[in-house]
Amino acid sequence: MKLYCLSGHPTLPCNVLKFKSTTIMLDCGLDTTAALSFLPLPLVHSPRLSKLPGWVSKDGAINLEKELKECSGRVFVDSQPEFCLPEKELLDLSTIDVILISNYHCMMALPYITEHTGFTGTVYATEPTLQIGRLLMEELVTFMERVPKAHAASCWKNKDIQRLLPSPLKDAADVWSWRTCYSMSEVNSALSKVQLVGYSQKVELFGAVLVTPLSSGYSLGSSNWIIQSHYEKVSYVSGSSLLTTHPQPMEQGSLKNSDVLILTGLTQIPTANPDGMLGEFCSNLSMTIRGGGNVLVPCYSSGVIYDLLECLYQFMDSANLGSTPFYFISPVANSSLEFSQIFAEWLCQNKQSKVYLPEPPFPHAELIQTNKLKHYPSIHGDFSSEFRQPCVVFTGHPSLRFGDVVHFMELWGKSGLNTIIFTEPDFSYLDALAPYQPLAMKCVYCPIDTRLNFHQVSKLLKDIQPLHVVCPEPYTQPPPAQAHRSDLMLELQPPPMAYRRCSVLGLPFRRRYERIQLLPELAKSLVPSEIKPGVSVATVSAVLQSKDNKHVLQPVPKPAPVPPSKKRKRVMEEPPEVLNPKPLLSGAVPLEPFLATLHKNGIMEVKVEETADGHILHLQAEDVLIQLEEDGTHIICDNNEPLRTALRDLVLRFLQKL
Amino acid sequence: MDSDCLSLLPAVCLVLADPKQSPPDDTSLEKLLDWFKEMHSQSNEQVLLQHQPCFKEFISSVCTSKTTDPAILSFTLKLTGLLACTKQGFHLLEVGGLLVCVFEREAWFVCDLWEDASVRSGWLQGLLNMLKHRQALDFICGNGLLKVILQLQNDGSLFVACLANQLLVHILNFLTSSNMTNGSDAVESRESSLSPDWVSVSSEIMNGVVEALSSDDHPRVLQGLRLLSSVPSQCGEPIRSTLWKDVLVPLEVLINRGSESLTQPLMTVLQAAVRTPLLGQSEYKVEELLEAMLGSGNKNESFQCAALTIKLEKCPEGLKRKAIDIVLLPLQCVSAQSQDTAEKMNLALKEQLSQKASCISHLMQSLSSLEELAYTKYQFEGISIHSVTSSVVLLLRICSGHYPSSLIQNNASTHLIGCCKVQRCGLDTLGALSVYEENMNIRKDIFGVLLDYLKSPDSHATVLKKTYQATVSWIAVCSPFPDLLQFISHDLFPVLKKRMCDLRWEVRDSTLEFITQLTVALNGNSGFIEALHTSGMVSILLSSLADSEGYVRASAVAVVGEAVDSFLHHTVLVSKSNLLEEALKQMMTILSQDTEGFPRRAVVKAFTSWLKGSHLVTAVHPFLSSVLSLGCNDFDWEVKMHTLELAEVLMEKTLTCCPYAVQNFGSSEKELMQALSKLKEFGLFDLLFNSLFDCDRPVCAKGRWEF
Repeated sequence: MKLYCLSGHPTLPCNVLKFKSTTIMLDCGLDTTAALSFLPLPLVHSPRLSKLPGWVSKDGAINLEKELKECSGRVFVDSQPEFCLPEKELLDLSTIDVILISNYHCMMALPYITEHTGFTGTVYATEPTLQIGRLLMEELVTFMERVPKAHAASCWKNKDIQRLLPSPLKDAADVWSWRTCYSMSEVNSALSKVQLVGYSQKVELFGAVLVTPLSSGYSLGSSNWIIQSHYEKVSYVSGSSLLTTHPQPMEQGSLKNSDVLILTGLTQIPTANPDGMLGEFCSNLSMTIRGGGNVLVPCYSSGVIYDLLECLYQFMDSANLGSTPFYFISPVANSSLEFSQIFAEWLCQNKQSKVYLPEPPFPHAELIQTNKLKHYPSIHGDFSSEFRQPCVVFTGHPSLRFGDVVHFMELWGKSGLNTIIFTEPDFSYLDALAPYQPLAMKCVYCPIDTRLNFHQVSKLLKDIQPLHVVCPEPYTQPPPAQAHRSDLMLELQPPPMAYRRCSVLGLPFRRRYERIQLLPELAKSLVPSEIKPGVSVATVSAVLQSKDNKHVLQPVPKPAPVPPSKKRKRVMEEPPEVLNPKPLLSGAVPLEPFLATLHKNGIMEVKVEETADGHILHLQAEDVLIQLEEDGTHIICDNNEPLRTALRDLVLRFLQKL
Repeated sequence: MDSDCLSLLPAVCLVLADPKQSPPDDTSLEKLLDWFKEMHSQSNEQVLLQHQPCFKEFISSVCTSKTTDPAILSFTLKLTGLLACTKQGFHLLEVGGLLVCVFEREAWFVCDLWEDASVRSGWLQGLLNMLKHRQALDFICGNGLLKVILQLQNDGSLFVACLANQLLVHILNFLTSSNMTNGSDAVESRESSLSPDWVSVSSEIMNGVVEALSSDDHPRVLQGLRLLSSVPSQCGEPIRSTLWKDVLVPLEVLINRGSESLTQPLMTVLQAAVRTPLLGQSEYKVEELLEAMLGSGNKNESFQCAALTIKLEKCPEGLKRKAIDIVLLPLQCVSAQSQDTAEKMNLALKEQLSQKASCISHLMQSLSSLEELAYTKYQFEGISIHSVTSSVVLLLRICSGHYPSSLIQNNASTHLIGCCKVQRCGLDTLGALSVYEENMNIRKDIFGVLLDYLKSPDSHATVLKKTYQATVSWIAVCSPFPDLLQFISHDLFPVLKKRMCDLRWEVRDSTLEFITQLTVALNGNSGFIEALHTSGMVSILLSSLADSEGYVRASAVAVVGEAVDSFLHHTVLVSKSNLLEEALKQMMTILSQDTEGFPRRAVVKAFTSWLKGSHLVTAVHPFLSSVLSLGCNDFDWEVKMHTLELAEVLMEKTLTCCPYAVQNFGSSEKELMQALSKLKEFGLFDLLFNSLFDCDRPVCAKGRWEF
């Protein structure tokens, strides 16, 4: 059993598990942090961004004026943003049988994997994962396609040039594997390969393994997976949460008794408590609005935004900010808000029960009804005429490199009254803000990551007790910025197996058993004999049929009666010759009685030597050795076949025959 | 009424003695006893028993009945004790042999009743009630009841055991009281020696205590210690010193054995002894025993003992110093920054600190002891207060997860990150440490950690409250330093602005309270007042007046009141702002429309405080009649009370020609008439007349008083 690690990112995993005869990809997360190296894509012409000077090395030897621009003291690539794909060279992706998706954030690389690689398998995901994942992909494609770039920059990736570039471009890894965004047709094609599953549904893969999604409590439809055969169990935990937010709570019981637990997707900000951050978010928002400023929240169009809106729904009235409008701007804003209301069965109990009242599970429906929350596909169109300040704008993309957020950064960045509040933990906010410097607007970093923290995961692992844990390397040491915080790492016994991008791990357990079915007619013919109390054995002569990874023992077909004709039969059609099997022996040869028997049979000079496994009897006159061991008896007797046979018969007297 | 009740007494006794009737519940029996007690104390001593023969009949019938209920028997025992507490009563009951019949359990017709704890408890209570004169003690000793009492000290029922202990202490105390010494030489005899008649009684009890302390039976030892801890405070000489001498050996054995579960009771005994002259006399070894309790500071109980020792009122200085050394060890160990310091810590302590529960408990003991010492401004010797304060600061940093990497790694930090208990206690201690001037040069560190707590999104509301309290203490003592204003306006105000918008109303409330305290503490500081009014704080304060939570609105009213007051000291600022108008407008809205009482009370209080000052008198005058009328008609009685207080201040201010004021005695009648007509214009008389007929008694009383 092997694990191929195609991504080193702890929360955007992409691993391939080879288990029995199946090849299973676990998630295919897309690392979008590469986009931070690129210039923002402004939705409206930005004189500032269009007049940036090109980059030329100090000695003038390298001139990449068209590809790289200097902005706010840093160098950015002036091209369509690119993303870092999972490793494609580590194994042949066409051999992947299935892809298991755990949540909509971990499927964004799907089109890169399923298209143009020869992939012919199936993707398994829950319905909300598929639908919201589709929205996120659609949004990403729209963001990119709305602002096309004529030229793609690639010269800077040349190794000899890249090493001469200023940081952080110089240090960017695997730049040749970076790709621009996929197209909508690729998204549609990739998603057509998805087969929907429900929580606890058992899906059989080629008869070899069963895979089961379990609720992970992180987002709508998010799941952990159990991959098991009859005798082995692997659990895949990715992006789970124990907090009470909108999704169904995490199912923990079924993760017990795993041989291996692959643990990914812990919180990216272990020191930030989501409740505290939510408080910070609200107080900063309220302070800005009271001061007459606007609040910009760069966020994904699904996920934490539902909780933020719910929290603000309660907070705004109590903070006397009831009349402040919220705007949610995204090409998929409408669908996202509506989808969240229809996936009732995937929500927490509290929200599920609202549906029966009937009431919409999320209060943003009321915000929309009362015109407090308005959503628009883009800043163009109705928004520009209805826009009223001060306001709160939720829009993407959190990297601040593309999407409508770029426009708001240009618009509001110059005023100290406004505030940008970062709630998504995926990007360093300082890097995200780099091309907008100098910035007068206030910046607040309130990353809300509801995924498991180290304290919760230690408790969880104590409960479910897996034999081995496999996790990304960063989880095995404290965060680099807080090297003394030993509480911010996994300390387990045995220590977890750590992986990084391109690791291939041999998982530390050997398969020992395989289940074989015995047909009833064959079972009837067995004659068990008891070898010790409670244990009976019988010999079986049968034909083993292996089909679809299932093994069946069938009775041996009887030889066909000899046909009356004297026609010669074709050799191929002859049934296999069935020989009477040699009897199987069981039991042990007791030393003293055996010596007595030897004595009775005239063998007098026996030297007994005790060994670690039993005894060695040296028949000195005959120069024969008899090794009596727990699981075997050997008679070493050269060139005296009658004696060997005689001795064998003496040994056999003490053993049971089956 | 009592005579009516007394006439019913025979019937009541009959009902109570009737075994066919189900007994009333304990509460009514207790109430009946209370009434008897009251009757007994009011009436001439023998009246009750003499005029109510039904009592004797009742007692006799209960004792001779074969079907007495335990509750009735217990009641009877207590009642008999009560009736026999006077010599006459005792005599009347003894004559007929009734007393023996009641307290000699062999005389009872139903012996099984003794098994009932309520009966045993009643028996002891009866004796306790009775033991007010020498005859009662004669009765107890003469009938061998003392043995039973000693046995009951180890009773399975805690109540019974406790009562037995109480009775034994009472007997010991009684032996040295004036009741036993008859007459004027009482004091002398008490001081010198015990009458030989009673030596055997006291030695029987004392032997019982010594036996209990030497016993292997833990509950018995505990009871012995409990009795012993009551003796020094309740009994006089020579009982106190004799008993102490007797128990010294077993006590030493117990202390040296070092059982953790006995630490607290042993310390209680020693605490009791410390408060008596036993402490000063070397033969009684009180100090030695305390020192033995402290041990070398490596046992779990040493820390508890040290913490208790520090609390002792008359603790010898040497002992106190040793206790301080011990109690501070956990704090120093957790915040050790050098390997040297860490190595000095003993292994046992390290082990204890690696376990969460003991780590937190030891640190809490360290911190609260330090806080206690700081309150008395204790002058440490051999320990630098500077380093102790730095340790507290470091501990607070550990608790918030922001500690320096130079800290020696130990498991303790893992237990402490986010631990609210230690955070709260640490902040209290840090606040208390502000009394030491030596700490002024580390104020930057201190304000730094306080600011971190105020900023941290994870700070619990109660932790924030404690942080505010500590900050106020430090700001108050640091007010002469010029860098304080810089800290307040650049660091503190931005955090406070955010906290005033906090999601939790408790935090918003405590933030506003803090700003009020800050404004009061720095009222004379013009720089502060200018910073308060130019930093944009005021607009947030004003918007807090419309908070959704009533308590927050009330605190906002208080802080706006203070801000307005401070603001008017600065004429430069006044011309630039419309704060007063805005505040008055919003406050009047609150008083007339707010649905909750707290904010309305706060508004009236703000007006009272403004009126008491000199700056605002003319500015608030136009609003006074509305305030008085709204306050007078408020549904909340406390608003009315505060309005009457406002009226009182108004009268003081207006009636400068009050005829009752001696200094103004010569003022003209005309001036008085003008003042009165002014008060009438304010509607003050309407308020006072209305309050006279108010349905709430305190309002009426206050109104009457003001008239």
